[in-house]
Amino acid sequence: MADPPVVAAVGSTAIASEHRGCNARDLMAEAILDCLADAGMDDLSAVEHGLASYESDHFNLQMTLGAILQDTIGLTPKPSARIEGGGATGALALRAAWAHVVSGLCDSILVYGVEKNGRGVSSRTANQLFALSADVDWEFMIGGTYTGFYAAMIRAHMAAFGTTEEQFAHVAVRNRRNAGFNPIAQKPMDITVDDVLASLPIAEPYKLLDCSLLSDGAACVLLATKDWARAHCPRFSERPPVYFSASGCGTDTMRLGDRYPQIANFRAKREAARQAYAMAGISQPLAEIDVAELYDSYSGVEIQAVEDLGFVAAGEGGPAVASGAFDLDGDLPVNTSGGLLGRGAPVGATGILQAIEVAQQLWEGVDARRQAPGARRGLTDTHAGIASISVVNIFERRD
Amino acid sequence: MSDNVSSRIEIAAEVGDPATDPWWEFRQVERITLELSQGYKYSLGKYSRFFIELENQRFLATRCDYCAKVYAPPRPLCPVCLEPTAWTQLSGEGAVETWSVLHFSPGSNADVRALETPYVLAYVLLDGADTLFPHLLKAPPDQVERGLRVRVAYSGEPVQHPIHQMYFVPME
Repeated sequence: MADPPVVAAVGSTAIASEHRGCNARDLMAEAILDCLADAGMDDLSAVEHGLASYESDHFNLQMTLGAILQDTIGLTPKPSARIEGGGATGALALRAAWAHVVSGLCDSILVYGVEKNGRGVSSRTANQLFALSADVDWEFMIGGTYTGFYAAMIRAHMAAFGTTEEQFAHVAVRNRRNAGFNPIAQKPMDITVDDVLASLPIAEPYKLLDCSLLSDGAACVLLATKDWARAHCPRFSERPPVYFSASGCGTDTMRLGDRYPQIANFRAKREAARQAYAMAGISQPLAEIDVAELYDSYSGVEIQAVEDLGFVAAGEGGPAVASGAFDLDGDLPVNTSGGLLGRGAPVGATGILQAIEVAQQLWEGVDARRQAPGARRGLTDTHAGIASISVVNIFERRD
Repeated sequence: MSDNVSSRIEIAAEVGDPATDPWWEFRQVERITLELSQGYKYSLGKYSRFFIELENQRFLATRCDYCAKVYAPPRPLCPVCLEPTAWTQLSGEGAVETWSVLHFSPGSNADVRALETPYVLAYVLLDGADTLFPHLLKAPPDQVERGLRVRVAYSGEPVQHPIHQMYFVPME
């Protein structure tokens, strides 16, 4: 197999509850300009391929946004496609881009993602639009919401393993604290476990502060062969090369109930991790991964994720998280960016933002207060729905 | 504009500093509030008989003759064997496996999903089924627990979506 692509350059906007002065294409353009500066390039004329990453046609009141974005950033008439996989969209787009480069279809590809989920519609309407990504006749119409589905899952986890609300509140506290060290984060907060426990119930056992954010934002990653990056990105050599070395993807039934009796954890995530670890040659993930961005759509989901990714055994996620094992000074710092809970989650850009955080960690280029010292290998974990699609991408620094 | 679209326009003041803001010339923001309503006419396809029989107060599932798995909600095609399934009637009794108490209704006003809060979203293992059936459980939230015996109740009233012809209630 050909060498995997390198992360040639990255760019993003700040993540906010609302970028009132920007529509989706404006946000995308700002992230692209940030990426150009990061690469040291004047324009995108050398880039061979685009790949658009956004989830919702409803929020933007615009279909074929991918074609509009390709046009906006001047990549026409080069090839492009739109990748969509719910919450996993950004990570799935990167995975597709990986295949584009490794197959030899192109030597450079710009993966660009954007979402305007923040205030374009009310929270209630947003919840409705997201719930349309559930099974409409069987889950949506009965009053189901994703908060409710996730809540039913974590309750099953609590029943199976004794996981507690205090344990998942720890995730809500830590990720929002980490966001305080990330200048693009949407909602850094200095809160306590008690604050989380006392916050408004949304879908029990999840409370307001257990829930991630609705966000506006855009992000992009330029992937390329190392030779291409050296030739076309003047600033590429200023940093140690970071390779997008492995990727795995798993799927599961759409409806939680069809997974019975396995409803406490994410089978798709286990499958994605198995593939990615095999490709990367990882057998002891906790020891062999130095930093990770996990899909903390709800606080308890991170507990389920550290188990499904093999960092700890099934059922040990709650105590491990509460012990601080995944804090900035822990065994494996996770969600150093603040995660979906603190940095924010503009869906089509989320998986891309996770990859950017990991690449910047491997470059040792983030705020010292959230830098994982000496990190050489990082992981992103991104999923759709209640992990009907799950993607694990792995990045490695090779000096 | 057509009958089902209305709009309101607001314009925000300029902000920013022309000396430092590269986008200063683009800082005026006009925002439109659009109200759109769309009707959908779509088929329930091979699930239809489930909903038709709800009106007769019969609760159907499907069973795969090859692997014997019973699907509730029904699946016309067994995803394991890739064979058509067969309809089978269940008693409609079962037990709560997991649940959540929701404090916000996703619908509003005349919306098909407007619900009084709090309400219980329950995943029920129906007797004779191998999957969990999600639906509203009309019970006091503090009385819901894993293993609680429940049964399908039929609303017997006109509904906006046929899945609303049923819900769960605790067994007496």
